[in-house]
Amino acid sequence: MSASFPFLGYGLGLRSAYYQQILEQSPDVDWFEVVSENFMVQGGKALYYLDAFAERYPLVMHGVSLSIGGPHALDPDYLKQLKQLAERVRPAWISDHLCWSRGNAHQLHDLLPLPYTEESLVHIAARVMQVQDILQRPLVLENVSSYVRGASDEFTEWEFLALLSHVSGCELLLDVNNVYVSSRNHGFDPWDFISSLPVDKVRQLHLAGHSDYGDYVIDTHDHPVSDPVWALYQRTLEHFGPVATLLERDDHFPPFEALLDELQTARQLGNKVLARRQPCS
Amino acid sequence: MLLKDWQLAFEAFLLEEDPNANPTLSESLISGPTLDVGTGLAIYHNAYKARLLDVLRNDFPTSLHWLGDEEFDRLAMAYIYRYPSAHFSLRWLGKGFEGFVREHLVPEQSAPLAELIALEWAFTLAFDAPAAEPLTIEAMAALAPEEWPELRVRAVPSMQRLECRFNSLSLWRSVKEEAQFPESAPIEIPQICLIWRNQLICSYRSLDSAEASALMGILNGGWNFAELCAELAVTYGEGAPLQAVTWLKQWIQDGLLERLQR
Repeated sequence: MSASFPFLGYGLGLRSAYYQQILEQSPDVDWFEVVSENFMVQGGKALYYLDAFAERYPLVMHGVSLSIGGPHALDPDYLKQLKQLAERVRPAWISDHLCWSRGNAHQLHDLLPLPYTEESLVHIAARVMQVQDILQRPLVLENVSSYVRGASDEFTEWEFLALLSHVSGCELLLDVNNVYVSSRNHGFDPWDFISSLPVDKVRQLHLAGHSDYGDYVIDTHDHPVSDPVWALYQRTLEHFGPVATLLERDDHFPPFEALLDELQTARQLGNKVLARRQPCS
Repeated sequence: MLLKDWQLAFEAFLLEEDPNANPTLSESLISGPTLDVGTGLAIYHNAYKARLLDVLRNDFPTSLHWLGDEEFDRLAMAYIYRYPSAHFSLRWLGKGFEGFVREHLVPEQSAPLAELIALEWAFTLAFDAPAAEPLTIEAMAALAPEEWPELRVRAVPSMQRLECRFNSLSLWRSVKEEAQFPESAPIEIPQICLIWRNQLICSYRSLDSAEASALMGILNGGWNFAELCAELAVTYGEGAPLQAVTWLKQWIQDGLLERLQR
């Protein structure tokens, strides 16, 4: 089996703490992922840097506010700004999360969990298709970390992702760390999750750190990638073949060199797995 | 429970100060092997508060410094619970903070703090306002003599104007420069503070009332250069054109003005 998408290589989440250094040093990073909402502004530094990065590196847009599973109608203003930004950035793809972030009346600014039911599937698939019609491209959706689980779930999360992608045509961003976090919190085998996803739909991988509290794990994105997640990552590449890999860090920012070292670890582990895999693929 | 009803219950839980979920929401969820439903929900409740507080702390660093962590957080949380976020981008979370402080506290307490909050918010507005094409001294020098009397200008889109009755700017500057934090105090003569962005850098300047009313005359009153000179003649007599040129040059060097084409 092998993924069918172009392999962008090993990328970093673009964060303002590193903008200037990236511009000055042009580091050896294959691509960057930008948080779409950070650039939905009219002017100033953010757009200046964005244009400069778009000239130098392939970019991917990653949103946090689409609220694809939300109870409200999709926000036309948000979609308009997303499309305008895509015209400016010309991203390799556009992703968001399989979650909801806006309630009935208010923005909740979190990646909230969904019940995995047929009702959710029908609701979300229709909205994914609406977004794809507007963006004129497949939407890429990421699995989120979760801390509660619906008592009336009719599917597992991985069954739901596979079905949603089949029904709506959306692609998947597999966050390996999120799978690990949720597997610890809900007691499932992370490999059951990963190995059940359709290989031809996984466009991108995420790697990040978490905080382990023993009884539960929180997806804090403020630590280096943990050993179990590295192990899971290698097994994932073994299974999927080359999939664009992105390292995220959202807090407790280390010196940029440390982040580049961590990205280099991903590159070395990934390339080793892929080289081993090549002859039989 | 229908998806929509479940989400409304979840939303209500997040927006309540009390982190105890209603029983219906809790009963709709199941525990993990070592993570119970109450702890799982508390993680979401805490994350919601922490994320929004963090945004306000970053957008209002001088107010945070003045009030201290505990008092700022109390005020910010009261604001968040009173006016939950309405915009998809957290960039706009602080939009109503000044108004909230004015209605939440008695005027003696609120006036200096609300002014400081307004000042900090003005900087955020200038920071990501649309780019401008400010008039330059070179462009002015290239004007034909007959173009001068009819010259009309407007403010660059990033320009924010704030009437200061307290030393808010000194408080703001002391945090920026990591200097001794002064006592908040009223200032004898209220000043107009302008905040704007030139290229990528935000700037600010206080104007006395004469300069402020001249600038507002050309920006809001639509005065052309000839009208500005005529208005200034009341105070400055024959020196009016010189005063007008001096200020105009200053505003242009600041990067405050764009030319309005006829």
